[in-house]
Amino acid sequence: MNIKKQFKEGLITNNPVLVQLIGMCATMAITTTLFNGVGMGLSVLIILTCCNVVVSALRKIIPNEIRLAIFVVIIAGFVTIVDLLLQAFIPALSESLGVFIPLIVVNCIIIGRAEAFCQKNTVGASFFDGIFQGLGYTCVLIIMCVVREFLGSGRFGGGLIDIANGFRFTLDGTGGGIQIFPADYGASILNLPFGGFLTLGTLIAVMQYALKKSAKKKELAEKEAAEAAEKEVEE
Amino acid sequence: MKKILKLTFILFLICAVTAGILGGINELTYRRIEEQNRLKTVKAYSAVLPADDYEEIDFAAAGIPASIDKVTIDKISKAANGSGYVVESTFSGAQGNITMAVGVGSDLRCTGISIIKHSETSGLGANAASTAEVGVNFRAQFVGEGAGIALKKAGGNIDALSGATITSTAVTNAVAVSIKAVSMLG
Amino acid sequence: MAEQEKKERIILDVAYQPQVRTLRDTRRLMLDVIIALLPALCAAVWQFGAKVLVTVAASVASAVFFEWAYRKLLKKSNTIDDLSAVITGLLLALTLPPTAPWWLPVIGTLFAIVVVKQLYGGIGKNFLNPALAGRAFLLASYALLMGNFSVPKGLSGVVDGVTMATPLSYLYGENPLPAFFTPQAMFLGTMPGTIGEISALAILLGFAWLLIRKVISWRIPVSFVGTVALLTLAFGRGGEHVNFMLYNVLSGGLLFGAVFMATDYATSPVTLNGQLLYGAGCGALTVLIRYFGGFPEGVTYAILIMNLCTWAIDKGFHRHQFGVSKEDIAAAKAAKKAAKEAAK
Repeated sequence: MNIKKQFKEGLITNNPVLVQLIGMCATMAITTTLFNGVGMGLSVLIILTCCNVVVSALRKIIPNEIRLAIFVVIIAGFVTIVDLLLQAFIPALSESLGVFIPLIVVNCIIIGRAEAFCQKNTVGASFFDGIFQGLGYTCVLIIMCVVREFLGSGRFGGGLIDIANGFRFTLDGTGGGIQIFPADYGASILNLPFGGFLTLGTLIAVMQYALKKSAKKKELAEKEAAEAAEKEVEE
Repeated sequence: MKKILKLTFILFLICAVTAGILGGINELTYRRIEEQNRLKTVKAYSAVLPADDYEEIDFAAAGIPASIDKVTIDKISKAANGSGYVVESTFSGAQGNITMAVGVGSDLRCTGISIIKHSETSGLGANAASTAEVGVNFRAQFVGEGAGIALKKAGGNIDALSGATITSTAVTNAVAVSIKAVSMLG
Repeated sequence: MAEQEKKERIILDVAYQPQVRTLRDTRRLMLDVIIALLPALCAAVWQFGAKVLVTVAASVASAVFFEWAYRKLLKKSNTIDDLSAVITGLLLALTLPPTAPWWLPVIGTLFAIVVVKQLYGGIGKNFLNPALAGRAFLLASYALLMGNFSVPKGLSGVVDGVTMATPLSYLYGENPLPAFFTPQAMFLGTMPGTIGEISALAILLGFAWLLIRKVISWRIPVSFVGTVALLTLAFGRGGEHVNFMLYNVLSGGLLFGAVFMATDYATSPVTLNGQLLYGAGCGALTVLIRYFGGFPEGVTYAILIMNLCTWAIDKGFHRHQFGVSKEDIAAAKAAKKAAKEAAK
């Protein structure tokens, strides 16, 4: 396993949300402001990386029969730690994500990676897998937040960016964001769950289109190479 | 038999380690979390009735029913500086439940309202909680109103939000109930 | 050349079997619908002035543009000649309030044409009425703009202001209905409302035209309006139940929805009994939403919900193959069962 391949898999070819189609509930529910998206994405990234490392380190002593129970205990432990830390240090984020932080326990991405990857791979590979899969998840959340926030309320970076007193990042969720067009013109239905379904569906379609196109291109190139090789042999 | 014991032991070990770590983290954070929760309440309440601290009182003991005019009273807190009370109540709006904090001064006049939770129609009823001008102006109308508070069309001073009569009526009614509840405290 | 063009157009099979081939094609049907909508449009111009034409023009132009652009972009055949996009644009515009800014129908048709109609395969394959889905999108997004009704010119006795509430919001709100909303006024069209809904007379003229041209059957509109009338008469509010029923029938876009929206071929049942059930379902849902829902209007969501039931309704009223008796079908079923048993 090389890092470059893992990077590409996590972000593009095996993206958790757009290709594996897991962890979609929270994706549709919380992507209304950039503040939520970045917060949720980074929380999942941290939990995923920690769980991956621990599961992979313990992979030789975890008996096969009770592995799922053990995974759940480990995951629940890390989620609770992150939940408590957020409540103590970034209460605004904890409040705005609400139940979706504790719900990471049942997020398929984490148990899915533990089951599919960390059981069979080294600690190092699992660590990078956690980082890249987490980054892939975060990227999707950020794209969805940006699209929904822009179309829904004509804004960029709500909660995270404050431009009222010079450009700065706010961690307490009070930033007003950058208003690109008046909020009255925004299609506010995109801020509702319907907007989540619509945006995610469109994103998945675009991703599948791009993947198919690149696969076709690759196939064509391989075919040409094979033909050229054949020609050489003939000559 | 031996295998089951081994599995149980491993699961127990992992649970015990996890529980131990969680206990440690909880020990480190619980004071801060309590402090943050207190700050949150103070921040929400001080927007409707300024004070440094608030003390929750047992309103049932004072003879106030838990529900008046379809408004459920969740909490009544006394401002530490004696300037009045904050009433937290839940009632139904146009789409779902609204939770609101109402400050009532010792002269039984409303000192401000703040909507904590709601699920009203965005663009209409949701404006009652909005930080935009329309919401701020709507909420500002309630300051100084007494027990006879009512919407303009019912002979009072409150302008309803345009297109959101149900929400405006519900909010106004809940403010009236809050004032009534505080007046019953004596 | 003309002959060839005719052949290329889709011949619509709108009834359940047995079917007869005719020369009627989509374009002809759509032209008839456009003609049937003209009286309602005239009533709107008469009551709200020529400015409503701007909304209508923006809506039709954008609908046609999105249809053309989507098909072009995806290298599919050009379908703007069948006029279905014109109808979608026209219908959507007629369900907007007369105060709607020009960009409102543009956003509505973008959703209606691209998401609701084309993403599911274009004309005939959509499972929701595109114009209504566009209206629902706008209703959820721009609630304030969608509820801004201007005072019609023919209405006298209005106290003040340029905008006012619709009769339905009085009927289901707390204030009593003002005296100038008489059933006669609402029948003619002197009431506030969306561009197309105000005049019952104009809509009925359009309905008559559609019936004469055999574009739609009476079943859906009659069962729809009939159910609403019966239910509001039986569970009337206020003193006069007959008047309450009339107000319910004449306002809130009920007639417009029943005649032009609920009868859309692609999204309504083709079985005859199915159409009656579909209409009755629309009517019952409309009344339920008006009585218990947050919005006083109800027709939009009632039709959209019944659109989703169309497939199941058609399944339920499935008619057997033409020329095959009941005994034949029973025998075929028994044979199939026997074959299954044998396979086991």
